[in-house]
Amino acid sequence: MQIFNTKFYAFQFWLLAIILALTVSSCKNKDYIYGINDVPISPNNAEKNKQKTNEQYLNISYANLYQKALSPDRLVDLSNVITSLGDKQVAYEIIIAKMMTDPDVKLPSKLEVDADPGKFIVETYKRFFVREPTQAEKVFFINFLKSNPNITAEHVYFAFATSTEYYFY
Amino acid sequence: MRRRKFIRQAALATGGIIAAPYILPTGRLFATTNPQMAEHVVFVLFAGGVRQQESILQRYLADSQQIDIEGNIMYNMFKGAPPDLKIAYGTTLPGGQAGGQPISPILSTTLEEQGTLFAELLYTKGGTGHYGGLSAGVSGHYGLTQGLRQRPLHPTIFEYARRFGGYKATDVWMVGNGIGGSVPLLNHSEYPEFGSKFGGNFIAPIVTFGAKEYIDGFKVYHPDDELDPIRKMQAFLNQTFLLQSGELPGINNSNEEKEDIKKFIKNTFDRLEKNQVAFPPVTDNGDAVTIGFATEVMKYFKPKVTVLNLSAVDVCHGNFTGYLKSLHRADHGVGHLWNVIQNQIPEMSGNTAMIVMPEHGRNLDHNPITDENDWFSYDHNGDANSRRMFALMVGPGIPANLRVGSESNPVGDATDIVATMAEILGIKPDVQGAGLLDGYSKSLFDRI
Repeated sequence: MQIFNTKFYAFQFWLLAIILALTVSSCKNKDYIYGINDVPISPNNAEKNKQKTNEQYLNISYANLYQKALSPDRLVDLSNVITSLGDKQVAYEIIIAKMMTDPDVKLPSKLEVDADPGKFIVETYKRFFVREPTQAEKVFFINFLKSNPNITAEHVYFAFATSTEYYFY
Repeated sequence: MRRRKFIRQAALATGGIIAAPYILPTGRLFATTNPQMAEHVVFVLFAGGVRQQESILQRYLADSQQIDIEGNIMYNMFKGAPPDLKIAYGTTLPGGQAGGQPISPILSTTLEEQGTLFAELLYTKGGTGHYGGLSAGVSGHYGLTQGLRQRPLHPTIFEYARRFGGYKATDVWMVGNGIGGSVPLLNHSEYPEFGSKFGGNFIAPIVTFGAKEYIDGFKVYHPDDELDPIRKMQAFLNQTFLLQSGELPGINNSNEEKEDIKKFIKNTFDRLEKNQVAFPPVTDNGDAVTIGFATEVMKYFKPKVTVLNLSAVDVCHGNFTGYLKSLHRADHGVGHLWNVIQNQIPEMSGNTAMIVMPEHGRNLDHNPITDENDWFSYDHNGDANSRRMFALMVGPGIPANLRVGSESNPVGDATDIVATMAEILGIKPDVQGAGLLDGYSKSLFDRI
């Protein structure tokens, strides 16, 4: 009877020790360290649903083409020109076409465009649409520039600055 | 059976392909069969607020300043001898009396003698405000809740003409005397099933061509080598955007029409430079300059519908002498306009009807403001006198030397012009059938 009790207590001791060991080991957390890759955040064109006012359009297009701000006087005069024509797109195209005659407009050279058309397209999308092109858009423009060798940055900028997406934000 | 069905469907499809280009925006295959009286119609909103007393009644200073001098200062439009005393409405010769030299008449036969004059027509509803009046004129509806900075509440003559007449956007023009007073909004309403897609082109030429520094010399891209690829790139960009988002609302000018408008602007700058724009002989106010540019629009586009807005007479709020001068010049400009249409635009000569009507009148009683001649000024606040107007129409099929209505028997309403223009263009049944004109509106031809 004494022997049975001793064995029973030994069994209890080891059982307790194993449970304790398992409990302690199961509570130990493993530390994970997560890393985040840089992802550029720019608006999707589907989110652009507010039409720019004449003043917004003029300020932004001037800044995009000249890389500097439009003066308030010029803004008022140009805005009046837009109001004086019923077809706003015609007004925008005339104003942009007039800007394109100005040597102060910042345009990449033909050499720069031809050297890396992909880079030019990405930068043009960022400059005018404030977003990256989709792969399909990039491919279209690279192929378009390749098949139309006389196209310059001016033509591409004109097309972007007078496209529907550019009228929205 | 299947072969029969195939043949029937093929025949229908072929018929559809052939007919599609001729289907009007209304969905009809043919334009209305009503005969056209003229291919072109010009509506001069002789606007700014014109009193009957100084215009059609030819009372000069008699009914405004208690000075007993009568006479006609609008002798291109109306029959009647000019005043012979206190001449202040003309030009000023060096060393001469201010405004003492009347402008020579342009037309040898007055428009009244050439056409039909509705001598007393009424503005029957709402306040006599400029924009309300202009809007009633171009939409044929008073739109009693019409606000400023809001497009006309009901479809305009431009929308009716394009929808029922099948005209393209550059066939219909609103020529404004400026960009103030919501005038640029008059080229279309936002009425469902009408709106911008049937809107007219608008131009305020004084502003457009006054911005020489900002737009003259704009680059014109070569149509094949430059413009074609630009349009292809635009089309691609617009296509991808349209798939995701919306469309830019605006007048439906085709690409060809857009290029045509640009060409017109470029040509007009060139013609300005060479002094070739057909301005009236006297161009010392904005209305006269606007009329000159309007003739350029007509020469270039030969529009089917032109609405021309003048407004210089509105100086009457504080300068009665200026008002008389402006009336005299507006008459001079209208005479010039008719003269250019008949003699310098072969496509419109003998084939154009013109209607002239103020947007409303002015008060019977003066306000306390006096001008340099100590003459009192007049406002327009809805009194009975400010509801009195005239309408003058001239052109093919319009009875000559006919006077309709009088002070004791007014005939016609301020909302009649849309139906009248529609009748001239042969689309009256469609316009009236749309049911959107004022209940009292009628074609003036139906009131003769």
